[in-house]
Amino acid sequence: MHLSSIKLTHFKNYGQQSLDLSPRLNCFTGLNGMGKTNLLDAVHYLCLCKSHTGLSDKNLIRQGDSFFRLEGVFETDAGRHKIASKFATGQRKEIERDGVAFTRLIDYIGLFPVVMIAPDDLSLVQDGSEERRRFLDSTLSQVTPDYLHNLLIYNALLKQRNALLKKFAEDRTFDASLLEAIDRQMPAPAAVLFEQRQAFSARFRPLFQQYYSEISGDREQVDAIFESAMSEKTLSALLAANIEKDRMLQRTSAGPHRDDLQLLLDERPVKKFASQGQLKSFLLALRLAQYELLRQEKQQAPILLLDDIFDKLDEQRVRQLIALIIGRQFGQIFITDTQRGRLEEIVSSFIGDYKIFEVENGSI
Amino acid sequence: MTFSSKLIEKAVEAFASLPGIGRKTALRLVLHLLKQDKSTTEQFANALVSMREGIRECRICFNLADEETCQICADKRRDRSLVCVVENIRDLMAIEETGQFRGLYHVLGGVISPIEGVGPGDLNIDALLERLQGDEVREVIMAISPTIEGETTIYYLSKKLQPLGVQLSAIARGVSFGGDLEYADELTLGRSIVARVPYIGQ
Repeated sequence: MHLSSIKLTHFKNYGQQSLDLSPRLNCFTGLNGMGKTNLLDAVHYLCLCKSHTGLSDKNLIRQGDSFFRLEGVFETDAGRHKIASKFATGQRKEIERDGVAFTRLIDYIGLFPVVMIAPDDLSLVQDGSEERRRFLDSTLSQVTPDYLHNLLIYNALLKQRNALLKKFAEDRTFDASLLEAIDRQMPAPAAVLFEQRQAFSARFRPLFQQYYSEISGDREQVDAIFESAMSEKTLSALLAANIEKDRMLQRTSAGPHRDDLQLLLDERPVKKFASQGQLKSFLLALRLAQYELLRQEKQQAPILLLDDIFDKLDEQRVRQLIALIIGRQFGQIFITDTQRGRLEEIVSSFIGDYKIFEVENGSI
Repeated sequence: MTFSSKLIEKAVEAFASLPGIGRKTALRLVLHLLKQDKSTTEQFANALVSMREGIRECRICFNLADEETCQICADKRRDRSLVCVVENIRDLMAIEETGQFRGLYHVLGGVISPIEGVGPGDLNIDALLERLQGDEVREVIMAISPTIEGETTIYYLSKKLQPLGVQLSAIARGVSFGGDLEYADELTLGRSIVARVPYIGQ
């Protein structure tokens, strides 16, 4: 599977831009702020209907315009498909394949798997558990539509439940049957999230450890352990046990929305004890393991987006990363760098064809 | 679009303020009315004004009504032992269109959604409980959309109705009639398999 062409209209800093792409390796060079990352984000959006940056759709529209549109032609074993994605202010986003619109996003997500590696994006390693849940959700949503469906239901129920707890507190009332009406719907989707996250983590862990040692070349012991209150109790039991606490906090204190993937370096939390270099190795290992798992699950190589890895990583890690990429069955790759010369020198070691695009102020 | 007449412009704006009607369609409607007799427009306008002035809520079921009670509640031939609970008037009309239901209705006026600030107190639930005090009603059918908010409402209603000893049922969900299995979405199909029904051949 690969993207053979892409067309951007009013997306971020692009006006109109069409590109024919290499099925193997596409390089984008140019100064900072010219739109290299935005181009990778456009590919990300075409695959997953959302920005890698976490920005909402309306913030992806070029300043002064009222909509953006992305088009791409995907070549797959089953044939070529033209995908178009459009968002206009005040409207629902639309995604269509060969002119036919998808009525539900969950039918689309996962058709074209993608992984983005941006070394700057250390929030995955350093920040709170929300970032790691986003990582789990983003991966598992691409693996099964069932996961995404249950995630959406669970999140909607959680919002309703929290709004109700707040309302109870404001009005100084409590209605057990009303809370129960929401609570009883939550265990089913929660169980799906828990089981799939747990199964994922079990397969993810050894892959992650293997990639980490290959990248860092060091002997430190690393781990990624899935933590969930549901390992001990069912969600029904958790909700029942925390009811007084939840009423006081006016939100739901336990459940899959608090799960975490605990990252350990020699049995200690990585965000407190790791050096900058180790943090970056963690990030790379997490992303490469994510890539490998998606490849196994989807039985096709996901698109790999590498943003600014040369500036942000030291030479040894870059070389390890490139060696890993060349050595394994990677699919189509998009890569950005500020220096054309350096990028060309590194990618010329690739087998097969590649294309280099010069990005300047939102045009190529 | 520019108009040589302020009167036309105002009429076009009025039509265009309706859902689903753009300015071009609005202009077509206005020009159409101009081609007809004056009396046609008068009747048209009068129909709207008297509808707005005269319309009421049925005191029993909260359906739209011309009188104190709506035509359905007033109809002596309808089965008064069956009450079908719906979210809104459009759902009521949809069920009426099927011609399969000869009981009475009860319009809730929404579904429970704390996010949107809609609680049980904002819906016509108390009126329903009051309606069920006598022994006239034998069965309450909950015909509410199978969304999260719908499920919440159905369960809450069932909790409130159970002590009254009335029989409760909910509409069946599953594969649409005349539809191909292969085109049914997998969630619906999965649910249909789980909630399969005994086959009664006839």
